[in-house]
Amino acid sequence: MSDLVSQLMRSWTDLMDWLYGMFFQQEMDLSILGLPAAGKTTLVTLISRNEMIEDRIPTRGLNMQKYSKGGVTLKMWDLGGQANFRAMWERYCVGASAIVYVVDAADSEKFALSRSELHDLLSKPSLAGIPLLLLGNKSDLPAAVKSEKELAEIFDLASLKGREVCAYSISARNRTNIDITLQWLIAHSSKKS
Amino acid sequence: MAVYDERKYLKDEDGSPFDGIEKGAVLQECRIFSDVQLKTFKCKKVLVRLLFLVGQGEKLTRDEATGVFFSVTKLFQSKDESLRRLVYLAIKELAHTAEEVIIVTNCLTKDINSDVDMYRANATRVLCKITDAQMVQQIERYLKQELVDRDSVVASAALVSGQQLLLHGKGDYVVRRWVNEVTQAMNHPSPMVQYHALALLYQIKQHDRLAVSRLVQTLAQSGTRSPLATVLLIRYVARMMHDAGVPAAGEDRPMFHFLDSCLRHMKDIVVYEAARTIASLPGVTPAEIQPAVNVLQLFLVQPRTVTKFAAMRILNQIAEIHPMAIMPCHSDIETLIADSNRSVATLAITALLRTASESSVERILKQIQNFLSDIADEFKVKVVDAIRTLCVKYPSKHYVLMNFLGSALREEGGYEFKKSIVDAYLELMEKIPESKEICLGHLCEFIEDCEHTTLSTRILHLLGVEGPQMSNPGKFIRYIYNRLILENATVRAAAVSALAHFANVDTTPKLRESVSVLLKQSLVDVDDEVRDRAAYALRSLGLDNLEDAERLTRLAIKTHENAMLPCPVPNLEMELLRYIAGGNTAQGFKLEGVSKAAMAGVASEDIGQKASDSRAMGIPTPAEKGRDAVAADPASTLLANPELAEMGRPLKTCPAVELTEEETEYTVKCVKHIYADAVVLEFNIVNTLDEQLLEDVFMRVDTEEMEGVEKINLIPAPKLPYGTPGTAFSVLEREEGTFPLGSIACTMRFTVRDVDPATGEADEGGYTDEYQVEEVSMGLADLMSAPAELPTSFRSAWDALGTNFQVEDSFTLGNHSSVGTAVSAIIDFLGMASCEGTDRVSDRATSHVLLMAGIFVPNIDVLCRAQVTFQDDGGVDLNVIIRSSDQAVSQLVAEGIA
Repeated sequence: MSDLVSQLMRSWTDLMDWLYGMFFQQEMDLSILGLPAAGKTTLVTLISRNEMIEDRIPTRGLNMQKYSKGGVTLKMWDLGGQANFRAMWERYCVGASAIVYVVDAADSEKFALSRSELHDLLSKPSLAGIPLLLLGNKSDLPAAVKSEKELAEIFDLASLKGREVCAYSISARNRTNIDITLQWLIAHSSKKS
Repeated sequence: MAVYDERKYLKDEDGSPFDGIEKGAVLQECRIFSDVQLKTFKCKKVLVRLLFLVGQGEKLTRDEATGVFFSVTKLFQSKDESLRRLVYLAIKELAHTAEEVIIVTNCLTKDINSDVDMYRANATRVLCKITDAQMVQQIERYLKQELVDRDSVVASAALVSGQQLLLHGKGDYVVRRWVNEVTQAMNHPSPMVQYHALALLYQIKQHDRLAVSRLVQTLAQSGTRSPLATVLLIRYVARMMHDAGVPAAGEDRPMFHFLDSCLRHMKDIVVYEAARTIASLPGVTPAEIQPAVNVLQLFLVQPRTVTKFAAMRILNQIAEIHPMAIMPCHSDIETLIADSNRSVATLAITALLRTASESSVERILKQIQNFLSDIADEFKVKVVDAIRTLCVKYPSKHYVLMNFLGSALREEGGYEFKKSIVDAYLELMEKIPESKEICLGHLCEFIEDCEHTTLSTRILHLLGVEGPQMSNPGKFIRYIYNRLILENATVRAAAVSALAHFANVDTTPKLRESVSVLLKQSLVDVDDEVRDRAAYALRSLGLDNLEDAERLTRLAIKTHENAMLPCPVPNLEMELLRYIAGGNTAQGFKLEGVSKAAMAGVASEDIGQKASDSRAMGIPTPAEKGRDAVAADPASTLLANPELAEMGRPLKTCPAVELTEEETEYTVKCVKHIYADAVVLEFNIVNTLDEQLLEDVFMRVDTEEMEGVEKINLIPAPKLPYGTPGTAFSVLEREEGTFPLGSIACTMRFTVRDVDPATGEADEGGYTDEYQVEEVSMGLADLMSAPAELPTSFRSAWDALGTNFQVEDSFTLGNHSSVGTAVSAIIDFLGMASCEGTDRVSDRATSHVLLMAGIFVPNIDVLCRAQVTFQDDGGVDLNVIIRSSDQAVSQLVAEGIA
C-alpha cells in the first residue's frame, strides 16, 4: 500500500515539475566568464541577491547563482578567471543559452589578453552559435572605456561570425545598465527555447 | 523517510537496483546532469548507479572521469539535500582519476559556510580530499572553527579531515598548529568526537615520544568516555610498551596497571583490546597473562558467536607462548568444540592440540574423533595439520596419533582432506624414521579404498621406494597386487612400477620370482601403458627368464645399470637443449660431458623446501626466500661469454662469495665454476664511484699456494661505468691428476678515467690503478657436488664401489656442542649430500652414523660413511670410510678432513 502511495507521490512530483517548467518557468544556463577581478562574482551577486559586495576574495572555481523574474530563471555559472580555471570554461559553456563575458573596462593593460582569451574560447566548435554578451564593467571609474562601440572595436566583436553579439557598458557598483543587461538575457532565454 | 521510499521503489521496479549496471550506460545517463530542467530524483538514481559502479572497482579512464566529474558539478545548482550528499560522494570517488577537481573548491567553501550541518560536515571532508597543501592554508580558518563546533558531525568531519591531511602530507604544518583546538575537542560531549580527537592528537604528536607518553599517561589517569577512544588509548599504550621492550627481572612494566584496569571495563570491546594487548606484550610472563585469560574465559560462555570467536583467537595465541596459562579454561574450550560455529570450533581444537601435554593427547584425540565427521573439510585439514605438529613435538606419541590419522583416512572426506593426511604421513615418515612401518601400513589400507587416482599413484610410488627396505616387503606386495586387479589404468601402471622396485637387485630370489609372476599377468592388460611398463620391468630386471637364478642376478645388475642413464635426466635435457641451441651440431653430443651433480636450480628448490619447513616451525627465513628467487641458472653469465661458452657447462657452479666489504669503492663477488680440467673464476664487479669510469678491468690471480695450475687466462671486463655491474673472468687450467685447493690472492687492475658526475662525460686520458680484494679459497666442498639422484639404497651403492679405493681414517673434532652440530658441520665441509635421512640426529644421541654421497670433479662418485661419537670431555671422535672409483680422490677427501 505504502509502495503505491510513494509511487503515486513520485509520479505526482515529476508531473508537477514538468508542468511548472512547461507553463510557468523558463530556465536558462548562462556562463559568466572573464579575466580575474573583472567583477563577475560581484555582478552575479548583485543580480541574484540584489546586494553589492565589494572586496571579494577571488573565486576558486565555480560559483552558481540563480535569479528568477517573470517566469524566467537564470542559472548563472560564474567561473573563476585565474589561468588554471580558464581551461575549464568551455565545459560550462557547452549548451549554455548565452555566454556573458565580463571585462574590466578601466584596465586597458589587460585588454589584449582578455581579447585573445575570448576569441580562443569562441573558436571552439562546440560553442558555435551561442550568443555572446560582452559587458564592459566598472564604467563608474574615470579611466573606463564607456562607449559600447569602442568596446566592440577593442574586442574585435565584428570578426565573430555566426552568433548574436552584443556589448554593454555597465557599472555594478552604481547599478548602471544592469536592467538592460537583464532584459537582453531574458529576451534570449525565451527566444532560445 | 523520502530516501526509504525511493529505495523501496527502486527495488520494486527493477528487482535489485544494481542488476545489470554497465559502465557505458551509466556514463550515458550522467548526461542528464547537464539538462536545463534538472530532474532531481532521476539524477539521484544515476548517481547511485555511478557510485555503485566505481565502488565495485570499475575503472574509469581519465577522460571519462573528468567528463562525469564536470557534469556532476552542475548538480550544485540543486538545493536538494540528499542529492547534494550523493554529489559529495561522487566527487570524492572521482577525485583520484578526474582532472581539475579544484573547480569545486568555491562551491565547497560556500557549503562549509552554510548553516546546514550536513553540508558543512561533508563539504569539509570532500574539500580536504581534493585540496593541495597550498590551499589548506586558505581553508584553515574554517577548519579550525569546525574543530570546536557544537555539532558532533561537523567536529568529527574536521578532525577526520585533519588526519587525512596529515596522512597524505598536505599541509602538515597547518594541522600541527591545531593542538589547542583538538585538545578542546577531546572534551566534546559526543564520544565519537572524543575518539576522533584522540586519534588526531596522537597523529600530530606521534613523532615526539615524550609528548605521546605524557598524553597517554594523562588520559590513562583521567579516563575517556568513549569506549572506542579507550581502545585507541590501549593501542597507543601497547605501542609504548613494545618500544620499551622486555622489562628487567623484578621490574614492573609502566602502564601495566592501566591495561589491567581496562580488563574490568564495562564494554567488551575495551576488555578484549586490553586482553589482546597483554597477550602480545614482549616477553609477557604467565603471571601477567593470567588476568587476561580469566576475562577471556568469561567471553567463552557468552552467547554471541563473535565474542567467543574473538576470545578463542587470543587464547589460541596465548596457547602458543604459555600453554599452561590457558589450562583453567580447558573445560570451556572443550565445550566449544561442539559449537555450531565452525570457526570457533576449529580454533578450540587447535588451541587444545597446542596445549595438549604428552599425557592428555589420547583424551583429546578421543574428543576430536567424535566430532571430526561433523565438520567441513577445510576444518578437518586444520585439525590434521595440528596433529602433524603435535606428532613432531611428541614423537613418542606417534603411534596413537598415527592411528588417529589412519582412522581419519577411512572417514568420509574430500580430496583436500585426504591429501593433507597423506602429506602428513609423508612428512612424519621423514621426521620420525621409526614410524615408517606404521605409516606404510596405514597408507596401504587407505589405497584399498581410495577414490583419488593421484593419491593412489603417489602412495604406490612411495611403497615402491620404501617398501623393499622394510622388514617384510612381502606384505606390501599383496596390497599392490590388489590395485593391479581392481583399479583403473593409471593406478595399475603405477602399481606395476612399484612392483618392479620389489624385484630390485638386493631382494631374495623368491621374492623376485613372485614379483615376476605378478608382472607377467600385466603383460596382457587391456591398457598399453600398463603392458609397456610390465614388459619393460620384466626385461630390464631380467625377470623374463627365471631359469638360472644365479646368472640372472648377475644379468639383472648389468641390465639394471645399462638401463640407467649415466646422468640425471634434467641435466641431460638442459645440456641437449643447449647443444641444439648452439647450432654447432657437426660435433657429436658427448654423454660423458653431462654433469651428474644436482643442478643449482634443483638445489635452490631444496633450500626453498627447507625454508618452508622452518617456516612451519615458526622461524622466518626471509634471506633464504630471497636467495631462492634469484637462483635461475647461475652459470648463465659464463655461458653468455663467447670465449668461455665453448668450454661447455661447468660441472659445478659454487654460490657467489663476497670479496669486498659493503660500501667500498668497488664491490666484487666471485663465483667459482668447476670444470674437469679447469676452474673459471667469475668476478662480478660493481663500480660505486660516480666520478670514475673503469676500463679493461682484469682480475689478476696469484696461484702460488695452489698446486697444479698450468696456465692462467684472464678475460677483462671492457668497461665499468658507475653502478652497472660488469664481469671479468680468470680461467685457471690445471694439470691432470692434481686438484686445485688452497687460496688465491686476487688483485684488480684497471684503467681509470675520471668522469664529471654532472655531465657523465669521461676524460680523455686515463691512468692504471690496482685494487686489492680478499682471497678466494678453494675447498673440498667446491669440488664436490650433491648428486642429482641419491642412491636408492646406500648399501648397494656402497657395495658396488667396492673396497678397491677405500680410505679409512679417524680424527678428533673439537668444539661441538652436540652430535647434531658436528654432523651438519661435516656435511657442510664436504659438500656431499646425506643419504637415507642420516642427517637427522636425535637430540640425546651420543653417537651417530652419517651416510653421504657426492660427485667429485670430474664425475667421480664418492661415498662416505662417517661415525661420529661424542666424548664425555666435549670432544667429538670422527671415523670416516671413503669409497670412490679413484684412489687419488678418496685420499684427497680423507686428507681434506684432516
